[in-house]
Amino acid sequence: MATRKKSLLKVIILGDSSVGKTSLMNQYVNKRFSNQYKATIGADFCTKEVVVNDRVVTMQIWDTAGQERFQSLGVAFYRGADCCVLVYDVTAPNSFKNLDSWRDEFLIQASPRDPEHFPFVVLGNKVDLDNRQVSTRRAQQWCQSKNDIPYYETSAKEGINVEMAFQTIAKNALEQEAEAELINDFPDQLRLNSENNRPGNADNCQC
Amino acid sequence: MEFEKTPPNVATSDTNSTCEYLDAEGEPEQDTDLSASDLYQEAEHGAEVEQNEHSIISVLRDELVTQTRNNLSPDSETAAATGQSRDLAASVESLALSTSTSAKTEDSGSTNALDEDIYDYQHDSVWRGQKKHIFILSEAGKPIYSLHGNEDKLATLFGVIQALVSFVQLGQDAITSIHAGGIKFAFMQRNSLILVAASRTNMSVQQLQLQLSDVYYQILSTLTYSHMSKIFEKRKNFDLRRLLSGSERLIFNLLANDSSHAKVTNNIFTFLTNSIRVFPLPTTVRSNIISAIQSNCSKIKNLVFAVLIANNKLIALVRLKKYSIHPADLRLIFNLIECSESFKNSENWTPICLPKFDMNGYLHAHVSYLADDCPACLLLMSVDRDAFHTLSEAKERITDKLRRSLCLQAINKELNQSHNVKLYQQVLSVPELRHFLYKPKATAQLLCPMLRHPYKSLAEFERLEAIYCDLLHRIHNSSRPLKLIYEVKEREVVLAWVTATYELYAVFESIVDKATVIKYVDKMIKWIEKEYDVYFIRNHPTF
Repeated sequence: MATRKKSLLKVIILGDSSVGKTSLMNQYVNKRFSNQYKATIGADFCTKEVVVNDRVVTMQIWDTAGQERFQSLGVAFYRGADCCVLVYDVTAPNSFKNLDSWRDEFLIQASPRDPEHFPFVVLGNKVDLDNRQVSTRRAQQWCQSKNDIPYYETSAKEGINVEMAFQTIAKNALEQEAEAELINDFPDQLRLNSENNRPGNADNCQC
Repeated sequence: MEFEKTPPNVATSDTNSTCEYLDAEGEPEQDTDLSASDLYQEAEHGAEVEQNEHSIISVLRDELVTQTRNNLSPDSETAAATGQSRDLAASVESLALSTSTSAKTEDSGSTNALDEDIYDYQHDSVWRGQKKHIFILSEAGKPIYSLHGNEDKLATLFGVIQALVSFVQLGQDAITSIHAGGIKFAFMQRNSLILVAASRTNMSVQQLQLQLSDVYYQILSTLTYSHMSKIFEKRKNFDLRRLLSGSERLIFNLLANDSSHAKVTNNIFTFLTNSIRVFPLPTTVRSNIISAIQSNCSKIKNLVFAVLIANNKLIALVRLKKYSIHPADLRLIFNLIECSESFKNSENWTPICLPKFDMNGYLHAHVSYLADDCPACLLLMSVDRDAFHTLSEAKERITDKLRRSLCLQAINKELNQSHNVKLYQQVLSVPELRHFLYKPKATAQLLCPMLRHPYKSLAEFERLEAIYCDLLHRIHNSSRPLKLIYEVKEREVVLAWVTATYELYAVFESIVDKATVIKYVDKMIKWIEKEYDVYFIRNHPTF
């Protein structure tokens, strides 16, 4: 495993429309922020290289559409994700309430191997605004109830906590990957043996 | 999309051409004649085969292996990977994909040193100017391979490809190709993999897909179908590069065989005609070689194939009764040998999956060059993974026998291309004949002369490649196959002719007239028929 040089993580950002998914990604990748709202149609992609535990990891970030009418590709996008980032707007209580359904939706559609331990990260965005409606405590409680999802309060506009949040995302996804690898590597070796010994049911050549 | 290089000046040569052809549409039996070995049916054929869960290797093992083995996991059963139906909510929302890349970080605000490391290929004129790109990704959109550029740094592009493919899939359909800005994008989906070719070359979409399927088989050859299916079944997010590391060179070599990589060789034509080339040898020499292999191998249990090759051409193939090797599998073997310099230094024992033979299991190949003084490579392929020493001894005996019967000498003589020169001279005796491809229908073997003036230069070779791509495409067009094409182009006269026994594609000087072409072709065919057994192998013998 030490010889492996490349690592790529597929990260999906989910959440209600206009909670700041695209802005968070832009702040993280491009260090830019725009006050203008442009709905994402389908998906937006970004790449970012990060260093986690002395390893260079490429994050392939899938910024999805929050608006329902642009969500036709749910299954296809969620497939094979390594980490899911759930974003809500601390000034919009509904976007917080909807985290439940976003999480469920993701788990159903992506059907990860180990849903209980699938790495999520929750971001409460727009903490730079004055009219905060969802308390930190409430958000933390929800995260604890869901198997201790890491929680960060961010501002895409001011760049608060964005870097740190994504660093956690990369780290957790990578850990999950490493665990899965151990599970995966062992039976693979056995499988080759059993494969060759498996009784076949064919009697002719296909060439 | 905009691209900086202008396409080569091929299209213009068609403008003042006259074209005559014979339409084969009225003969429906022609279609069936082409059979499963026809290259343009490969794609569909391959897809069917994948649904088969049987394993020839297992059968062989059952038949041959008498000793009992420790059955480690007898209940491992392959779930039909192909049957993963995904009930996609069919909302008909139009998809627009906006892509942004991290290269925008070049602005002054960036303080993170890592940002500068992310090289932006999509704004790089060299990368964009490549004549051919090949991308391989998982269904999750994770990059596996890119012919040009670091695939990690193209992760954004891979996301877009996945989204495009998924979007069309959502409508219970499959994307085949996109034509835009003078570029053909060919798509292929196989067993959790998405393969895409983006090409400014002269290959048709079908030909590009054929190349994609060759690459797909190369991957299967490393991993096997069942192994890969099981991995993706378990983990859709699996990064397949991990298992393919080290075999990128094989994929590259398979793809870099044409003018898009500035290679002027006949190699590309074997893939375009779904064939292999035979090492020309006098019939007595070839039969001596075959009997040397037979006499030393016939008693070896579990041995399935013995393949002797030199210079990317087949000298002999001896096989177990009832089994044969598909040309696509042979090309994988050629590719492996061509890419592996290290085979020259020692005996090797390597697992290899021949997907057309059995995509679910490995054959174990003893690979070695015959002798220090004879660079022909012998592969002895067995289903028994403990057969190394047996095969190693057999190889020694084969080499001894070949040395005593002067076959090594004969091979070396031919490595100096004596028959190729003979063929070349034959071609030279028709000064107006520039190049040809001849493929007997009974075998998937291709005869073509060494490249000569003017096709030794890259630009001219590119034109030759374009001519053959076009002829092959029209002859094998699935909706309207042709039997005869005679075309006077600006710089050459071209002929494509399919008979009951062979396919012939020939390129002449532009000054010849039709009567002369017919005369020359006639002469050439007669010569080939006379020398047939030197340049072709009619039947592959059994052990």
